[in-house]
Amino acid sequence: MSGEGGLEIRGLHAHAGAFRLRDVDVTVPPGRVLIVLGPSGAGKTVMLETIAGFRRPMAGTISLAARPIAGRPPEERRIGVVFQHYALFPHLTVEENVRFGPRAAGRDDPLAARATLERVGIAHLAGRKPGTLSGGERQRVAVARALAIGPQLLLLDEPLSALDAPTRDELRSGLRDLLHGLGIPAVYVTHDQSEASLIGDDVAVLMDGRIRQIGPAAEVLDRPVELPVARFLGLRSLGAVRVEDGCAVVGPPERTLRAPAGVEGPAVACYRPSEVELASAAAARAENSFEAIVDAVHAQGDVTRVEIGGPLPITAVTLPRVARDLGLAAGARVAVTLPPSAIRIVRSA
Amino acid sequence: MALSWGRGPFPVVTWTLAGLLLAFILVPLLRLGVATTPAALAAEAAQPDVLASIALTLKDAVISALLAVVFGVPLAYVLARRIVRGRAILQAAVDLPLAVPHTVAGIALLFVFGRNGWLGAPLEPFGIAFYGTEWGIVAAMLFVSVPFAVNSVRDAIESLDPQLDHAARSLGATPWHAFRRVTLPLAARGIVTGAVLAYARSISEFGAVVILAYFPMTAPVKVYEEYLQNGLDRSAAAALLLLLVALSTFVVVRVAASGRFAR
Repeated sequence: MSGEGGLEIRGLHAHAGAFRLRDVDVTVPPGRVLIVLGPSGAGKTVMLETIAGFRRPMAGTISLAARPIAGRPPEERRIGVVFQHYALFPHLTVEENVRFGPRAAGRDDPLAARATLERVGIAHLAGRKPGTLSGGERQRVAVARALAIGPQLLLLDEPLSALDAPTRDELRSGLRDLLHGLGIPAVYVTHDQSEASLIGDDVAVLMDGRIRQIGPAAEVLDRPVELPVARFLGLRSLGAVRVEDGCAVVGPPERTLRAPAGVEGPAVACYRPSEVELASAAAARAENSFEAIVDAVHAQGDVTRVEIGGPLPITAVTLPRVARDLGLAAGARVAVTLPPSAIRIVRSA
Repeated sequence: MALSWGRGPFPVVTWTLAGLLLAFILVPLLRLGVATTPAALAAEAAQPDVLASIALTLKDAVISALLAVVFGVPLAYVLARRIVRGRAILQAAVDLPLAVPHTVAGIALLFVFGRNGWLGAPLEPFGIAFYGTEWGIVAAMLFVSVPFAVNSVRDAIESLDPQLDHAARSLGATPWHAFRRVTLPLAARGIVTGAVLAYARSISEFGAVVILAYFPMTAPVKVYEEYLQNGLDRSAAAALLLLLVALSTFVVVRVAASGRFAR
């Protein structure tokens, strides 16, 4: 149940050219933020455009506050949209941008516009044109403009993706607090997992036009249920699992890893490279530990990627300091541990 | 900062070809400028029928340009926003006057707007006649200038991010409100450019006008008549006068437009 004021989508089908968005079922209660996470071309923007009314659905229902809206034009939906590149009106000042919606509805109120500008901390920019603003400032104007219509739902299409990394980090927390304080449902599209975990209450993973997994953010991001989702979330495959003594087992006999059996049917064991534990060769433990030879070591900014060779190749990601302390280099011996809790058993298709 | 040309044959060849083309345009016009004397020019300007033909041309060119924009903006919008099937066919139709010889256009217009034409005949009882009238001149000018107006506006609208439209609609604007408050102001420069181009094309039209409305005489028709009746030298003064008036109004409108609608 979405509860009063929520967004409810059932059996939504839409298309954009040859692309098809299929069978989307989503519920977003008021005050919650649903993250739609997926790779480029997954259909995230098509989904938002269909909810906003820019695209006509082929089938399905969209309800907002228990009122069906799928047949209504965008201007009658009261859905605030923050576009990926903000789509600010370049010929209008910041204040005129924010007052555009209320003016169109015949409810223009300069004081309310002022209050909205202050709410997102851009009152001092009121007289400026969008072309003179920084990326971060534009993003705030776009949010203020969407909020000025008193929306029943807020849609955000990768609102931070056009920004440089420091500005993005700076704005993330502010945006999370703002969205959670609005008391309306919000659908936030991104392909960035860290953004998803920081901002979202729930996450829907959209791939190839279908929602592959949906649920609370922490659960979806930590426990993917099928291989494509796991791969998209950055997990690596260890290979197909077999069940022995009630446990999921993967790897050849000389390098076997065990984990609690998870799913019925054909399954694959996956892991996050950041959860692979590396230690000096002498420290190899009994369970899910083995000694191996390092194939290659790559510095990647803040972390170091270590490729472990042998019959069950594994990639580990560790801190550069740890790599240095362990003397990791091609040909070095190292103890590798993949705790059972770090192994996810997912459906293979 | 401009990119350096470097050395070698490329800049030489480029400048030579570009210079030849510019000379091809400018030399005949300069030659026309020295083909007559200020006194002959003043005498020509004192001729009431010459002045009347120039005034008529400017007036009808303005009407034609305004009509081209008023009817051209909706067509340009439809083409730019790809909201119809068969857009390529519509675009080809818009470009047709560029390819049709203007005498052919005049004859085709005559079949529709002539005294026995599809529209000419039924409208004549209501006092609306095209053959040999100013309306005929405007119709001929409009026919040849439509592609300039429509294509210029279409380019301007196409260059706008379609999400601006989406943003306006999501904020509660009806399609008309979004068009009037967002698309139109942002495309204003292209619209003015289209109007100026249509105006310039209308002033210079001869072939279609001469068939549909030899009289009242527009300036290009008057220059042609001077040439036929009095020869090259006498027609040069009238031609130069028309050139100066056309160029000066064109420059004034263009400068005014670029200042007013510069983004």
